[in-house]
Amino acid sequence: MSTTASDARSDAARSNAARSDAVVPGTGFTRAHELFRESVRKFVDQEINPYVDEWEEAEMFPAHEVFRKAGDLGFLGLSYPEEYGGMGADYWYNIALSEELARINGGSIPMAMGVQTDMATPALNAHGSHELKERFLAPAISGEAVCSIAVTEPGAGSDVAAIRTTAVRDGDHYVINGTKLYITNAVQADWICVLARTSPEGGYRGMSLIIVPTDTPGFAVTKKLKKLGNWASDTAELAFDNCRVPVENRIGEEGMGFIYQMEQFQNERLVSSAGCAAGADKILKMTIEYCRGRETFGKPLIENQWIHFRLSELIAETEFLRQMCYHCVRKMEAGQDFTREASMAKLKAGRLAREVADTCMQFHGGMGYMEEYPLARYYRDSRLWSIGAGADEVMLGIIAKFEGIAPGR
Amino acid sequence: MKILVCLKQIPDPEVAPRDFRLDENNLIADPASAGLVTNIFCENALETALQLKEAAGGEITVLTFGPAEAEDVLRKALAVRADHAVHVINPGLLHPGSSGAACVLSAAIRKLGSFDLLMFGREAGDWGEGQTAGLVAEHLGLPFVAFVDSLQTTESGLHIVGQTDSGREELTAAGPVVVSITNSDANVPRIPKTRDIMMAHRRDITTWSLEDIDLTEDLVREAAGSVEVTELFIPEKDTTCEFITGDSADERIDAFARRIVDVIGSI
Repeated sequence: MSTTASDARSDAARSNAARSDAVVPGTGFTRAHELFRESVRKFVDQEINPYVDEWEEAEMFPAHEVFRKAGDLGFLGLSYPEEYGGMGADYWYNIALSEELARINGGSIPMAMGVQTDMATPALNAHGSHELKERFLAPAISGEAVCSIAVTEPGAGSDVAAIRTTAVRDGDHYVINGTKLYITNAVQADWICVLARTSPEGGYRGMSLIIVPTDTPGFAVTKKLKKLGNWASDTAELAFDNCRVPVENRIGEEGMGFIYQMEQFQNERLVSSAGCAAGADKILKMTIEYCRGRETFGKPLIENQWIHFRLSELIAETEFLRQMCYHCVRKMEAGQDFTREASMAKLKAGRLAREVADTCMQFHGGMGYMEEYPLARYYRDSRLWSIGAGADEVMLGIIAKFEGIAPGR
Repeated sequence: MKILVCLKQIPDPEVAPRDFRLDENNLIADPASAGLVTNIFCENALETALQLKEAAGGEITVLTFGPAEAEDVLRKALAVRADHAVHVINPGLLHPGSSGAACVLSAAIRKLGSFDLLMFGREAGDWGEGQTAGLVAEHLGLPFVAFVDSLQTTESGLHIVGQTDSGREELTAAGPVVVSITNSDANVPRIPKTRDIMMAHRRDITTWSLEDIDLTEDLVREAAGSVEVTELFIPEKDTTCEFITGDSADERIDAFARRIVDVIGSI
């Protein structure tokens, strides 16, 4: 049967229109997002994965070099305004980035990039002055600058209200004194967004976010910390000893630091949960391949009901987590609060990662325990999901409040 | 310089063998069993074209013949900053082959006008015939150089370096000329940038039916008629392990060499 020119043209027009629609039903992923994924995948294959083992061994990755390449491809400012070099893209791009970075053989680099894009810069983008954004946000987006966020202290982790670092006004400057702990990217950072007390009020009030360039006198990386996992990502203890920074370096209003910090938590938890689901998916697929090929007692491991049932259960849970993340993005796009759902996703992500790591390690046997096999690294790295970016217990507290079952204070 | 690059969409060669299936009724790869990607050698050709444009100026038009899905290869080309994209829709011809594709592409090129340089990948990763570029050159009455891995503009025209069975050949061509590009360290495809990806999906693509380029399905079928696909199957891989024995290393080396000669002779 032949078609006429107009038939073919209208068919073509229909086809082209259809191709601009979502490619994954129920999500906002389009052909453009799929091509973006391909770019991230190539970046991972060419610029990251060939070097990860070396970086893990060295307990450091070349953040400036990697971030410049990522920045050049536009990966470090997806949602940020074009005025500062961002892409002005929708949030499905952030999810796609997080899912594809999960293909990296280890959690260090996705974590370091996540600190740059979703922890150290959102408050600056949302509340910083134009001058501050030009000076600090633009180079973070281009990858020229590595940045970090410093909240945790020796006596204040999940309990942010217990922060003791002070920033005392002295003329046109703040004078910062205190100690920060477990700070990702800090050894290589060009600037750090510091949460400090700017007034003696207790609790959550009286804290401000202040940008501290790391060449400021009085700032010091006092210790590079050794960790259970995520070796290639540098983590540090910091000291501020009469560290003077201009008042203009404060993000937004004085005393609003904690609130700004809270605002950005939902996005941070959402992208990290999406990355966690993609990482679990990768490890489960790897385990399925192993169990298909590995024979014991005359048959492939996968044929044991315990093994394929258990893997099926974890695949199902991973899919639930992924869909919960997509649900959060849909709520975000509709302008609705998704704190409850993001907290649920983050809680589930941490627990699922631990379960996947443990189960897949068990199914791999001795081979999984060997350092040369990716599973050992995943086992170590994934443990952080239940601790970083809000511990499981913090998530449970938030959910309990939403459900009205937390005791009142 | 006006450059045309022809692109082909193929099933992803990186698909896991376990997932790859054939559509045995239509004698094609099952479209559901593998993602679709731009043929890698076509990407090498496009990268070479982009480098030529960056060095000497000009504009790049990308052209494909394929189903609606083939729009993706054009969007990707626009995302690395090709200037124009043209899509001739395949209305459902299952086996156009090199001859049918060359017939369609030549007709489209005639309609597009003249180019100084027409570039193709050296072969496609699905059928691997490596004939389309030469056939297009024949249709258009243009000179053709195969297996090119380097191109530079000079005062006397294009300096072309190609691979041959016995080494390398260097040519100078005034253009227009058709070249098929092979891969080299210098033409590894670049990674599209986020902003360019977003812009590429807002750009217009010229879409033509066969009738728009004065062809019909019957004419393309006739052009493709010299080749008929009669059977399609996934070859079974058989691996055997053989140990070469001998009392000394020299004996084992001799036995090993004789065995290799036997194996080659039996193929």
